[in-house]
Amino acid sequence: MAVIETKGLKKTYNPDKVPVHALNGVDLKIEKGEFTAIVGPSGSGKTTLLNIIGGLDEPTEGTAIVKGTDLSTLSDSELIKFRLQHIGFVFQAYNLIPVLTAIENVAFILQMQGRPSKVCHDKSKALLEEVGLADKINKRPSELSGGQQQRVAVARALSSTPDFVLADEPTANLDSVSSSDLLDMMAELNEKEEMTFVFSTHDQRVIDRARRVVTLVDGKIDKDEIRG
Amino acid sequence: MMIFRIISLGWKNIWRNPTRSGVVIIAVLLGIWAGVFISAFFNSLTQSYLQNQLDLMVGHVQITNPEFEDQFNPRYDIQGSGLLLDSLRQKEYITGIQYESLATGLAQSAANSYGVTIHGIDTASGPVHPIAQHIQQGNLLRDIKRNPVVIGRALAERLELDLRSKMVVSFQDVEGNITAGAFRIAGIFDSFNDNYDKGNVFVLRDDLNRLLGKEQLIHKITLKIDDFSRAGMRAESIRENHGGLKVSSWGEVAPELEYVFNSMDISLYIVMIIIIMALVFSIINTMLMAVLERTKELGMLMAIGMNKARLFTMILCETFFLTMVGTPIGLFLSWLTVWTFGNIGIDLSAFSQGLNAYGLDTVIYPELSATYYLNVTLLIAAAAILSAIYPAWKTLKLKPVEAIRKI
Repeated sequence: MAVIETKGLKKTYNPDKVPVHALNGVDLKIEKGEFTAIVGPSGSGKTTLLNIIGGLDEPTEGTAIVKGTDLSTLSDSELIKFRLQHIGFVFQAYNLIPVLTAIENVAFILQMQGRPSKVCHDKSKALLEEVGLADKINKRPSELSGGQQQRVAVARALSSTPDFVLADEPTANLDSVSSSDLLDMMAELNEKEEMTFVFSTHDQRVIDRARRVVTLVDGKIDKDEIRG
Repeated sequence: MMIFRIISLGWKNIWRNPTRSGVVIIAVLLGIWAGVFISAFFNSLTQSYLQNQLDLMVGHVQITNPEFEDQFNPRYDIQGSGLLLDSLRQKEYITGIQYESLATGLAQSAANSYGVTIHGIDTASGPVHPIAQHIQQGNLLRDIKRNPVVIGRALAERLELDLRSKMVVSFQDVEGNITAGAFRIAGIFDSFNDNYDKGNVFVLRDDLNRLLGKEQLIHKITLKIDDFSRAGMRAESIRENHGGLKVSSWGEVAPELEYVFNSMDISLYIVMIIIIMALVFSIINTMLMAVLERTKELGMLMAIGMNKARLFTMILCETFFLTMVGTPIGLFLSWLTVWTFGNIGIDLSAFSQGLNAYGLDTVIYPELSATYYLNVTLLIAAAAILSAIYPAWKTLKLKPVEAIRKI
């Protein structure tokens, strides 16, 4: 069973005024363990597709099925719970909680899942060690570099043991060294733990590392390329 | 436990912008301090007004002949007053008894005349009459052997009299004849009320009774009791035991004072509520700014799985903390201020003329009950929750996708 499946996905913004067709029928299947980049020019619908797959937005037509669940059948509160249990998010601007330390940021997801304190602490620590931040666990985001913050964001995304991680332009705010380190780390997680990653990106370095590249043009899949 | 994490997050969030939060906290602190102090000041002002009126003019319970009250005719004295006084002295709740004969008449000097109530009081036995503490010159009916009188400064000025001057007082005796007596001024008092000072003179009861034509006359007995707020109940009890007399509580004698007493608490809370309302708007404004500038972050929290109840709780906690941090300090400072001025007093003698006209003391000793402090705390807590509702509701209306799009 595919982790993510979309069928005839369409999204139109402002349907009554000046309609903007962000997605024009996207059929996509992503299997477990894939390392997929969604690419395309600005306005091609990359972020919209990620938002719909992530249960943050609703399609105008079509369905998005995640782990066998049609997201359109879930209420707002069920969607929030579903995201907490099944999806990890990495945002372009890191979006860590500035008043919490790195380990508190990672543990926050586990606490929301109702895990015991010790589990939250131990797992968060292990994840931060895994992303190479063992010595930064008690630092606040403002004390970390952009690359380090994005690593914390990845650790946070992984903390709930999601079915897949959605990353919206994760390297857009990083320099080349930090981008490369981050990609190495995510590729390693993908290989070692079979974690499914779906990126939207403009960054050629990300595209070069992806094993599958889905190109969107005008809200449609223009190319779906699987690399060795 | 997630709830502790949410509470802790709320606490940390208010310190993101220390200047902004500090301004709100100081505003709350000063608001409470000012509100409580003003309340204490007005409480004491009102209390002093009430006490002065009760001590000098009304007492807590008054006993008269019912006919006397209607016509103020000296013929209608209290029958069997000796036995009645003996009975009253047995009652534990009565802390002071004053009795007097009364007449209304005209005080005259060579220069002028004025309508007065003549109080015939005993100075040899029983507690000292409350007018004694207001005497500014001379003394309470001592040193002058024949017909001494104590008058108010305002009357002395009007009649152009001084200590040891002579004045004539004329009034109706028990037979309805006009009688008059010459009195020499033994003391001049200056109470808190110019009208009272002008309209009341004090003579020895024996002197007045002699002129009224009947010995042992007592027209009015004024009682002080241990708790003046229970005067109604005490008056009822005395009335039941002593039929044929008019027994009135201070509230019945002076309903305007009872109104002041009953509305005192409400007035104090109105002052505080107005201040708290102003603070509520300031807190809502701050919290709205805090929420709106964190739209992205709040959207992110919803995206990663924070449900609306937790988000609502977090904003509620932030608002609550923002409001309540300054509260204990504000309450402590106000208690300290009230305590300090309660001991040293606030001297308003610069405004003594105006204050005296309204029957107020010129030195005010602010005080408040512990219940008031407790109620203010509860009011502020309620205001904190009220302030939190709108910003928290705004948060709940956020769509995570709209916030995420801004990222």
